[in-house]
Amino acid sequence: MTAPAPQEKHIETSDPTKGAGDGAGSKIGVFICHCGSNIAGVVDCGKVREAAEKLPGVVVVKENNYTCSDLGQAEIIKAIKENGVQRVVVASCSPRLHEPTFRKCVQQAGLNPYLLQMVNIREQCSWVHSHEKEKATEKAANLVQMGVSKAAKLKPLEAREVPVEPTSLVIGGGVAGIQAALDLANMGFKVYLVETQPSIGGKMAQLDKTFPTGDCAICILAPKMVELSRHPNITLLSYSDVEEVKGYVGSFEVKVRRKARFVHEDKCVGCGLCAEVCPVKVDNEFDLGFGQRKAVYIPFPQAVPLKYTIDKENCLHFKSGKCLLCVKKCSNQAIDHDMKDDILTLKVGTIIVATGYDTYEPTRKGVYKYWEYENVITGLELERMLNASGPTGGRLIRPSDGNPPKRVAFIQCVGSRNKKIGNNYCSRVCCMYAIKNAQIVMEHEPETEIAVYYNDIRAFGKGFEELYHRVREDYAVEFIRGRPAKLTLDPKTKSIKIRAEETLLSKITEREFDLVVLSTGLIPSEGSKRIGKILRLTQSPDGFFMEAHPKLRPVDTAMDGIYLAGCAQSPKDIPDSVAQAKAAASSAAGPMFARKVMIEPLTAVVNEDLCQGCGLCVDLCPYSAPELVPGVKGGMRAHVIEALCHGCGTCAASCPQKAISPMQFTDDQIYSEIQAALTETTRRHSPKKKAEAEVSP
Amino acid sequence: MTDPEPEVEKVFIGGLHERLVEDKIIEESQLDPNFSKEIRKYGGKDVMTCLQCGNCTGVCPISLKIDYKTRMIMKYCQFGLKKYTLDTRWVCATCYRCYEHCPADLNPAEVMIALRHIAIREGIIPPFIKTAATNLVRYGQSVKPDPEIDKIRIELGLKPIHTHDADYQTVIREIQVLVHASKYDKLIGIQDEVKV
Repeated sequence: MTAPAPQEKHIETSDPTKGAGDGAGSKIGVFICHCGSNIAGVVDCGKVREAAEKLPGVVVVKENNYTCSDLGQAEIIKAIKENGVQRVVVASCSPRLHEPTFRKCVQQAGLNPYLLQMVNIREQCSWVHSHEKEKATEKAANLVQMGVSKAAKLKPLEAREVPVEPTSLVIGGGVAGIQAALDLANMGFKVYLVETQPSIGGKMAQLDKTFPTGDCAICILAPKMVELSRHPNITLLSYSDVEEVKGYVGSFEVKVRRKARFVHEDKCVGCGLCAEVCPVKVDNEFDLGFGQRKAVYIPFPQAVPLKYTIDKENCLHFKSGKCLLCVKKCSNQAIDHDMKDDILTLKVGTIIVATGYDTYEPTRKGVYKYWEYENVITGLELERMLNASGPTGGRLIRPSDGNPPKRVAFIQCVGSRNKKIGNNYCSRVCCMYAIKNAQIVMEHEPETEIAVYYNDIRAFGKGFEELYHRVREDYAVEFIRGRPAKLTLDPKTKSIKIRAEETLLSKITEREFDLVVLSTGLIPSEGSKRIGKILRLTQSPDGFFMEAHPKLRPVDTAMDGIYLAGCAQSPKDIPDSVAQAKAAASSAAGPMFARKVMIEPLTAVVNEDLCQGCGLCVDLCPYSAPELVPGVKGGMRAHVIEALCHGCGTCAASCPQKAISPMQFTDDQIYSEIQAALTETTRRHSPKKKAEAEVSP
Repeated sequence: MTDPEPEVEKVFIGGLHERLVEDKIIEESQLDPNFSKEIRKYGGKDVMTCLQCGNCTGVCPISLKIDYKTRMIMKYCQFGLKKYTLDTRWVCATCYRCYEHCPADLNPAEVMIALRHIAIREGIIPPFIKTAATNLVRYGQSVKPDPEIDKIRIELGLKPIHTHDADYQTVIREIQVLVHASKYDKLIGIQDEVKV
């Protein structure tokens, strides 16, 4: 039926010359998957089988409806055991999907699991060429031919085992970090929690109540904070920064800078006498500038650890060399103005990144006049104001005159869902926190009129829709569908007039409000950017950390042993952050329980004889796997740390000496594939077409 | 001039809302599913990405004066309500303020321009556009020279506009050649005015 393939011999002759005794002459089995109609609906698998049967070294060719099924795998095992197949080629889907499945299957049959070659005839063939069936068949046959030719050159590899230190580092002490640390500690692992602020608690500690249930945020968080600080397995390193991370899964070496807080943590009892006498008053960052604190301070009453910190920038002693009132007052001699930063080196097996978020800061020249009008505030500022331990003691006031506002407007989607500023994503929490805050405002001052300017209300979580309904039913909060276009100030009353199109009425409305609250979105935190660079984590276009798989590996990163929790990965609410923290803790616990991880042998290998120690690979590697070490024969030679190497091949491609080759992707193997691609063996249609062309004129 | 100056007709400014109110139910047959594609062809890209937030209407200087909703026109375009949109798009001053504020980063002003392109090609041409085009080929400017203006010019020490000067005629001829070559005269229906 098909034309003979005269070039077939070409491959056969080229094989033994380069084979060097590895895979040459080994028996190859080819398994072609139909994947239901996914592949067979487009590719004529029978023709592919016929073509494969003619390939050199191929002893078994089988077609299966689903090769990944038990039946299909049994077929592979049978071929290895009964037909003596030594190399397995599976032509099916992407190796990302089923390579692990088939490796296990091959191993089960007693063959080295790395003597398997996957050929992708689904994603890269049938799916993309669904309208060109003949050409797709031809391509599938070609791909199989390439796979077979590479399979002949595969070498057995052994996965390596590295020990795992049963200690974890959690970066960030917000609710996600706290939960992850507690979970790991409760499982019996030692945990270091590093927090850059003087107290843990993160953004949740700043909030008033949580949606949709109305639980007081700090009331439910504080017990966890205290539990964490007292847990025997947790070392809390507050007011500290991660400076450097070296190593790989199982044995990371972490340098932590303990910033000098000028108060000895072991001596301070948190009595607060120092703050009482401190003469310096500055804006409290925790209250976002609304409240004040002293130069020696705790950010909020429930701070953990309850240890005071001296703010070097504002302390009189650091400015003038005098004062020292706090030192005189402290009965425990805890205060030490000569304290220096301390560097700690930790050895940990896994890392959980929970570096959280920052809120979007409205632009200085934006339409919402956040920087110009006093009575335009952000959602987080409102939270501080409504908070009973906040700067106003829970009273809602207008910043301009201190009076309670009668009319309050919320403006949604400030800094999210906006392509102009590059934040295309929905921040997920703004709708609900605005609705929740509207409810709290109405509970405080039932006479208040509240309008929410929104684009879409996203009340998607458990109990969210009910809350949305409640604020309309019980509190008559008005929802206006439209994005405000212009805010103008009444210079006398300091009230703000909002012009917007009420889109559902199709009318432009101008209404006056005493207070305008901007529901600002969530952006990646400054800390995330810094930690991302240190850990070399990948980020999605929005700047949040990228998970290994958006659906099936939501807390893993591309780096083994590093996991994500909370808003560092994407904006999310408290329940989601806690859930993800628990997931990250359980993922991190896996290798720590096993005390070992298997490292894929698909790494780069340096040929020391060829390497000249130029160091190009060291500069280029995205995972910092290669290092320069003194060679056996003198000089510097590159050496690849296997546990760090991901086998991406960047070093091999860049090496001027061709001294590096990534396992399973050696030059020899790739050339053999290229050679197979260029031969005419499977292009069965070409001679026929030629014949037709000759006849037709 | 023989023909009287046609007035700016009301329908070409507003009228959108009234007409829609008249039609109680919009039949599917009235919708043009390819309308957004057509708009895209004439430069009004991403019309389908409009979120309908209404920011454009709020910032539009025209919307303060007449019943003109930028957002609504975008909605009509998404929906395929071609017959309602084509005769009303001439009030947009293309100040681009809508583009400046649009959170979805689309450009309503360019959609308006695209709608004009389509309207002209469908033969829906407002009289004032025809008048302006006629003036252009007659006098080299879209506004007709006026003896009153000449008086003011003389008072200010400027030369009056001598449309019969040889230089002036050369320029007008050049304009006419361009208008003819670009087939603009045929499109707008002023072939008789262009003598090339």
